Parts: sequence; C-alpha cells; structure tokens
Amino acid sequence: MASLKDIRNRIGSVKSIQQVTRAMKMVAAAKMRKAQERMEQARPYADRLKSEILTLLPDVDRSLLELLDVREIKRTAIVVITSDRGLAGSFNTNIIKRAEEEIAEFGKENVDLFCIGRRGYEYFKNRNYNIIEDHTDFWAELDYNHSIKIGNGIISHFTSRKVDQIRVVYNEFKNVMVQEIIAETLLPLTLDDDAQIESTERIYEPSKELIIKSLIPLDINVQIWRYLLESFASEQAARMVAMENATLNAGDLIRDLTRQFNNARQAAITTEILEIVGGAEALKQE
Amino acid sequence: MANFSVEIVTPTRVITEENISYLRCPGIDGSFGVMAEHAGAIIALAVGEVKITESGKDKFIATSGGFVDISKEKVLLLLETAEHADEIDKKRAEDAKKRAQDRLKQKNGFDMSRAEAALLRAINRLQVASR
Repeated sequence: MASLKDIRNRIGSVKSIQQVTRAMKMVAAAKMRKAQERMEQARPYADRLKSEILTLLPDVDRSLLELLDVREIKRTAIVVITSDRGLAGSFNTNIIKRAEEEIAEFGKENVDLFCIGRRGYEYFKNRNYNIIEDHTDFWAELDYNHSIKIGNGIISHFTSRKVDQIRVVYNEFKNVMVQEIIAETLLPLTLDDDAQIESTERIYEPSKELIIKSLIPLDINVQIWRYLLESFASEQAARMVAMENATLNAGDLIRDLTRQFNNARQAAITTEILEIVGGAEALKQE
Repeated sequence: MANFSVEIVTPTRVITEENISYLRCPGIDGSFGVMAEHAGAIIALAVGEVKITESGKDKFIATSGGFVDISKEKVLLLLETAEHADEIDKKRAEDAKKRAQDRLKQKNGFDMSRAEAALLRAINRLQVASR
C-alpha cells in the first residue's frame, strides 16, 4: 500500500491538473463564442454577394465562367481542415479518417491535398500523400486574409486544370455537443438559377459578365471563411467537452485518492493506538 | 449640396458612414467618383483605395476588391477587405511586399499571377497607410 506521503503528493498533482483542464475549458468556451460571433458577422456580406451573383447569372453565358465549369473528373483536390493543436478529443482523428475515406474513393495517386491545420498536415506528410499546399499555425490569429490566401491557391489550382474538382472535408458546428463532419464539393461551383430575383434597371461597369467573373472568387473566399470558422468553433467545442470530461475524471480520482488517504491515515492511527495499548498492558503486568 | 450615406460591408464587419458628399472608388477600369443622386449602378472594384469625403474631411480605406451597388437610398460597398489608413500594419505590408518581390525575381516554382496580385495589394496598403 502506498504511503501517506505518496498519496498526498498524488492528490496534489491531480488537483493541479484539474485546474489546468478547467482553465482550458473556459478558454475554449470563450474562443468558441468568438467564432460564432464572427460567423454571424460574415452573414450580411455572404448573403449580399450571393444574391448579387444570382441576379446577374441568368444574363450571362455560363460557359464563360470557368469556376462553374463541370469537367470529367480525372483528378481531385481535397481540402482537409484540421486544427493546429491536440487535446480536443477525437476531433482531428475523425476528420482525418473521413478524409482518408474520401481519398480512397478516388485513389491516392489521383488526389492532391490542401492541408489546413498542423495535425492533418503532419499526418498526411508522414504518409507521403501528394500535398500541394499547407497552411499551418495560423488558427491563433485567424483573420480573413487567410481565407483569401487559401482561396487563391485553390482557385488557381482548379482554373489551371490541374484538377477537375475540389472537395472540402471539415467539421460543421451544430452545437456544443454535436459537430458533424461534412465532405462537399466547392468547385466547380453550383449555383441554382431558378431563384427568381427581379433585376432593376442599372448601369453595369465594366459589364455584367466581368462583374460576375470578379464576384465568384469572392464567393469562394467567403465560403472558405465559413469553413474555417465552422471548423474553429467545432475544435473549441470538442476541446471544451474533452476538458470538461477531464475535469470530472480528475474530480473522481481526487475523491478515490482522498478515501485511500483517509483509510491509510486511520490504519496508521489504529496501529499507533494498538502499540500504545499494548505498551500500557505490558507495563501493567509488571 | 446633397449628401448621401455609404454602407461598407465586409466579411468581418459593417461600417456605416453618414453625410458623405463624395466617394471615390477604384473601379476595374480606373477610379471613379460618386456624388449624391448618382444613377443606379453595379460596378466591380479592383485593388485600390476608397476615398470618402465627409464635411470636407477625407478618409481613406484600402481594399482588395469587391463591388459597389449604387441605389437611390444609399451606396453599398461590398468589399473583401477594408482597412482604414490608421489600421494598416505597415510592417506586415512591407514583409508581404518583399516576399512577393522575391518570388517574382525567382520566377520558378511560384504562381506568378498570384505573386503579382500579392505585390499589388501590399503596395496599395502601404500607399493608403502613408496618407
């Protein structure tokens, strides 16, 4: 049986771990709320942009828009969005597993990867996947320029015809307990033109066609922004839950250890009393 | 002189400016000015600076593109990025400029049109920052 001192030390270390996990949980909760706010803030821009594109679309020849170009699929690029850091439960494991399933569907040699986040990048790099671009260590200071940078890379990879479609694997934030892994096609972009939006008499500069051409990449970038924020919020939620569980486990452990400690203490006292009583008895008999 | 209001919408925030007498935007085919009672229009914007004049005072905003929607009620600027002159991180812009120039010099391995676009954005931000 462990000595009193050992048990006391263990209780001390479990308590300090519990403090750390509790703090991490609160930090994750704050970051998650921030990501949710940013998603809200992006909505007016995204909605406005979408409606403008849909208004113009019926008047433009679709075949001129290369980002809408549906080709026979020979090569695919997959964008995998993971986090930079661990300690978030099965967040990264699940997304990597799903990405591997996607890759297997097209065959490893037919897939180019864009790895967002250090976890996924290291995993796929170590297994010799065909990585075109990686974006790591930016989550802590996430801003819109990142989605522009990522978007530019993806768009030029598609328009230079190196791949025929771009798919994205990411975590969608449903609520704190539920994050759903989604795999969807980003390019070629699908736009439903049955949305009837009345167009008013306006001047178009330089032309409807050029305007829509410059708007579509903006739409891609804002979608990437949404992916990043969804994933970031999911990561923080997963970390929150993982840290909550760790804190509870630490509580259980402390309770068990305290019981053990008390047992050991009582046993020690009992032994001491036995010794004293035994000594006293021995003295009496003399 | 009549004034109008300008709403700037970006993915990260919405800025509303009231009592604007003049607005200058970087159109794809060159800069153009907007004053009150402008005809309805949609105009695509390139990398450049937006100038807003409010009661005689000028404000400059660096943008990397978007479009402007001019209607009777107001002028809506939908911009991918919008940074006021005093918000620009000059050091980051300098770094970006250098990086883009290096890539253009090396000429291989990098996507030239992307490096050129990055250079343009960096130069624009520096220019607005020095206003």
